[in-house]
Amino acid sequence: MEGESVQQQQERLNQAVQQQLNLEQVKTRAISLFKAISRILEDFDAYARTNTTPKWQDILGQYSMVNLELFNIVDDIKKVSKPFLVYPKNVNADNATILPVMLSTKLLPEMETEDTSKRDQLLQGMQNLPIATQIDKLKARLDMIAGACEGAEKVLADTRKAYCFGTRQGPAIAPTLDKGQAAKIQEQENLLRAAVNVGEGLRLPGDQRHITASLPMHLADVFTVNEGPQSFPEGSSNNVYIKNTPLSSNSMGGQNSLLQNSGSQLLGRSAASPNVATNATFDNTAASPIPYANSPRSSTNMMNTPSPQQQTPQQQQQQPTVQQQQQQQRQKMMQLPQQQQQLLAQQQQFRQSAMQGLGQLHGQHQMQFSQQIGHQQFQGRQLTSGHVQHGIGQSQLNQGNQMARISQFSGAANNALFNAAQTTPNTQMIPNISAGISSQPLLPRMQFGLSGNNPQRNHASQMLSDQMFNMGGGNPGGMMSIQQQQQQQQSSQGAFGGLASNAQNLPSGMMTLQNTQQNHPNFSQQRQQNQQ
Amino acid sequence: MQLQKKADMECVVQGIIETQHVEALEILLQGLCGVQRERLRIHEICLKNGPNLGLVASEVRLLCDLEQTEPSWTVRHIGGAMRGAGAEQISVLVRTMVESKVSKNVLRMFYTLGYKLDHELLRVGFSFQFNRGAQITVTVSSVNKMLKLHATDEAVPVTPGIQMVEVTAPASAENYTEVAAAVSSFCEYLAPLLHLSKPGVSTGVVPTAAAAAASLMSDGGGTTL
Repeated sequence: MEGESVQQQQERLNQAVQQQLNLEQVKTRAISLFKAISRILEDFDAYARTNTTPKWQDILGQYSMVNLELFNIVDDIKKVSKPFLVYPKNVNADNATILPVMLSTKLLPEMETEDTSKRDQLLQGMQNLPIATQIDKLKARLDMIAGACEGAEKVLADTRKAYCFGTRQGPAIAPTLDKGQAAKIQEQENLLRAAVNVGEGLRLPGDQRHITASLPMHLADVFTVNEGPQSFPEGSSNNVYIKNTPLSSNSMGGQNSLLQNSGSQLLGRSAASPNVATNATFDNTAASPIPYANSPRSSTNMMNTPSPQQQTPQQQQQQPTVQQQQQQQRQKMMQLPQQQQQLLAQQQQFRQSAMQGLGQLHGQHQMQFSQQIGHQQFQGRQLTSGHVQHGIGQSQLNQGNQMARISQFSGAANNALFNAAQTTPNTQMIPNISAGISSQPLLPRMQFGLSGNNPQRNHASQMLSDQMFNMGGGNPGGMMSIQQQQQQQQSSQGAFGGLASNAQNLPSGMMTLQNTQQNHPNFSQQRQQNQQ
Repeated sequence: MQLQKKADMECVVQGIIETQHVEALEILLQGLCGVQRERLRIHEICLKNGPNLGLVASEVRLLCDLEQTEPSWTVRHIGGAMRGAGAEQISVLVRTMVESKVSKNVLRMFYTLGYKLDHELLRVGFSFQFNRGAQITVTVSSVNKMLKLHATDEAVPVTPGIQMVEVTAPASAENYTEVAAAVSSFCEYLAPLLHLSKPGVSTGVVPTAAAAAASLMSDGGGTTL
């Protein structure tokens, strides 16, 4: 209360004022008011503790009494407070609104004297001069001081950098990239991200996609036998023609080596075979490196492979003879021939047709052929049974024709494949027949040739291949012939990676042919020889 | 059972860093990961199937690790990324990824199947593998292209001044959220030097990179984090 905040000075107040003040009375009244208020608060407390609802009527009545009393006291004091001044020691938020501005901003006396003395110090010597000069001089002093401060800061910053203390303010002082640099970096970043994620900018144009330089170590042996990157046929089961790429020759070379391997196997097995000569020719090419299509060696490779004796007479009559051969073979098959000669004859024919077909083609074409063979072989593969389906795509070449076709037996499951293969207009594909058929009932089918096949396909090779993969077991008689034929087929296919190694398995292979389904046609073919 | 948990997905983020700061990044990673760095030299060959091999275009990557005495091959197939509102909230990319070690005949096999070479690149750099909430691999490498087919010895960087940083962690459908969280929290430690983002989202360089690199280098690597 203001009345109570009035400080009693040490000196005595005017008597009159004192009387008017009637401090004693004020004190009494204040004390009684205080007691009343505390009583009310206690009541509230009790209510709160006992959690009863207070009687608001009573409380309001008490409050109004207290209020009135306070008002009266304050009123009385106000009347008497005219001669008194508030002399606040501290101006703070509570007081500032009440006190007038001057009073609130006036410095305390001590502060005031301090201020005055400083001002005198500053203006010493200048007090005589006009004000403008004084101002100028003061400004000059300010500038000097500002300069000194900046210098000091600079020195501090340099020292900090030198000792790598780090800046006080952090990133605000760190250099930001200017726009040009940022744009360059952004561009580089986009290049890099695109290259890594999508391969932008990394694709070589088609003409550069040849393996010209020597291959690095890790790729050296990967590529010895085969191809370059694009050379593989895009052929699907439809046996679309392979594009004629120079790299395709590599694969042919590979097949050569494979052929050679199998050829040598044949050599070993069928001593009486008139194919010896043929085999010999295979061996001639064994040493040839795997060159490109256009190299003379590669093109002659295939030319050389058919034996000269067999090649000439039969080349001209290939197609008709083929059919005859096929029929002959069929008959033989039907009889379940186990005689070597028949098989050999079949072999011979097959081989001839295969080789001649190959031989007539130019190098590149040959390669494509072989590639396609390989490709198709894998296409129809039924992985579970492990039999590989062979289909040698007809060479799409303009010469179109005498590719030896290795057909596989159409099993029930593979009719679809066969039908799919039919759709290609150019190819006279013998359908890739899954070799997974191993059940006995198929045997009769086998022997009758390819009931599922087109009649056109009565190619020597077809006969051979028909039964080739029914190794699945359970084709005892037929298997023999098949196997031999398969062998031949395989030789022309060459795309099997494991052919060479398969040859080694001949001894064991034969026995298992009829037992399990695990026989790769590769194996089976070569095993044939053993049985003979 | 944890051993048999198949991890057919991965969480991945990518970032870039200027070549001049790579050494500083290495110091930082060394401190964070606590393992030795492994040198990296990988010949990555990307194969795509032909148009008539299957209905869907598919891409397969063959990675040949040239750092070992005997080059080891890996085949990797990267599938589609997770999509949807949930995926957008995650700061890493979660995608299917299947990887397997293969023999060196893999290239030949794929060619025989009908795949064709699409592009190839050579990564040279280093990587750190460690476990921090998930099995995380950080790879810092310069991406090089070959001007002649398969000529890995004559590879030139695609962007000489910038190298690629990749942070990956295998995950499965059950735990990918935790793995993603682990990866993103690890990435925060790298914030002074680079920003990492989902592949395909560009980040730019970080303005504090130079200062951070300077401080990492000047301490002589003695700063522990």
